[in-house]
Amino acid sequence: MTSAAATAPHPSPGSARARRIPPAFGLASPATLFVVLALLGPLALMFRYSLNRFVPGEFMVEALTLENYVKFLGDGFYQEVLFTTLWVSGLSTLLCLLAGFPVAYYLVRQAPPVWKSRLMILIILPLLMGNAVRTAAWMVILGDKGLLAAGMAATGLFSPLKLMYTPAAVVIGLVSVMLPFMIVTLRGILEGIDRNLEDAAESLGASHLMVLWRVVLPLALPGILAGTMLCFILSMNAYATPVLIGGPQFHMMAPEVYQQVAKAMNWPFGSALAFILMAVTLVLTTVANMLIQRRYRRWSE
Amino acid sequence: MHAKWVNRLYATMSAAVVAFILLPLVGIVWVSFFSNRILSFPPEGYTLDWYVRAWGMDVFRDGFVTSVQTAACATLISLGLGVPASLALTRYRFIGRDAIQTLLLAPMIVPGIVGGAALFIAFIELEVLFDHQIAGTLGGLLIAHGLIALPWTVRLVTASLAGTDRSIEEAAASLGASSLTIFRRVTLPSIRPGIVAAALFSFVISFIDLEKSIFLVGAGRTTLQIALVNYLEWNLDSTVAAVATVQIVIIGTLLLASDRYAKLGRAF
Repeated sequence: MTSAAATAPHPSPGSARARRIPPAFGLASPATLFVVLALLGPLALMFRYSLNRFVPGEFMVEALTLENYVKFLGDGFYQEVLFTTLWVSGLSTLLCLLAGFPVAYYLVRQAPPVWKSRLMILIILPLLMGNAVRTAAWMVILGDKGLLAAGMAATGLFSPLKLMYTPAAVVIGLVSVMLPFMIVTLRGILEGIDRNLEDAAESLGASHLMVLWRVVLPLALPGILAGTMLCFILSMNAYATPVLIGGPQFHMMAPEVYQQVAKAMNWPFGSALAFILMAVTLVLTTVANMLIQRRYRRWSE
Repeated sequence: MHAKWVNRLYATMSAAVVAFILLPLVGIVWVSFFSNRILSFPPEGYTLDWYVRAWGMDVFRDGFVTSVQTAACATLISLGLGVPASLALTRYRFIGRDAIQTLLLAPMIVPGIVGGAALFIAFIELEVLFDHQIAGTLGGLLIAHGLIALPWTVRLVTASLAGTDRSIEEAAASLGASSLTIFRRVTLPSIRPGIVAAALFSFVISFIDLEKSIFLVGAGRTTLQIALVNYLEWNLDSTVAAVATVQIVIIGTLLLASDRYAKLGRAF
């Protein structure tokens, strides 16, 4: 029975002589169970706890209240944290798009074939060196006695910039993490665009900018959208970069979740923060997606 | 064709962006050889002392060992769970298939800090329930890391399975081979590159994880990434750079190896 099932995608009803367990079920269930137990279950528990009450000294008190969410909305400090997270993420994402597009375009349209895969590796390797190592490296570069300061002093033209522990440094750090994702996503969509379309527009006298604006951009929009969403989500959830490069005075959402859950042991509020972070990210990306899709439909008509 | 200056502009911008991406990597490797006692530029000379010092520090050596153990076990977990699941997802139609596929990729989408916090809370509740420590043990760490690696395995192996020729399996079946034999003798050899890439990728993803592990490490059981971050909070010297360089070399080697089996650019 098993050999027939292994090759037949649609087991015919005729052969349904009281099957024990369908093989697909047996193959997929351990992994499914694992994810349910290690991800969905804990998330559900966490959501339930976000409705509990935190009493200092008593840890957590069973309740069914929205007061943790209300506290977030009423607290100027946390509004500021969310606002910082939003603008830092928005700016980093925009910079990624602006810096990533030329690279993706070059990779697809102009790079010599030998260099395509080499460049790809050069772009992806730094991505996987780990957040801790990359952050350390940016600290070495941006620090007061760092490479950048020394380089600027050596030219004698600039007064040393104080970048470490500023939002600017966090944006630099985040952009360097997210750029590879943006480039890979954009490259994927650009590869699918017929080069003849661009050549045709150009032969009819369109300038290169015009070709980009009227031909490439509309066709690449789904990929631009995907890359932008990905980068935005990644930076909304960034942890190591804001903590180490932003310094103690700089606050973003993910480090606050850690702070509340693991350090302050205020599980109800920490859980509420986590769900607010995910909800804000989800709502913003969905709305942006819908708006741009609508625009895109109008464009393509 | 574009005007020459347009081409040149793209090449220049690309070079600048790639240089920006590579700058931290090159910078930290360079710094690891400085002989300056306090980290500063330019170098006064070069030395390998920081490597010796880093290996002599318990936090880094133990962290490295823990990370290698964790990553190796996480790889086995993710392959053990992910390869059969990928087989089910690509070879069978069943109710809820799309839902299961989404679910198996979900650990990649849920933010690391949120997933880590949720696991941490669940572990502590289980500890209270069963009076047995989980958070801060290797077991707890392995659950988290298996979860991190699983979606990458599913992604790479399903892609590999989708690219194989089903008719060979059908031919084997029609000649009377059992499904286990078909898997062992036909399917497995043809998806071996995907599995190797999945294994290497799982190892790397687990090795460099920071956000989930930070909740789950305990006294005396710290992964290398957490050791690095803890050290960085108070110090910044070439010891960290030496550790980072070793990590870069190891991961670089693994990734270049996996690139031979599945193009890195396709894994994302």
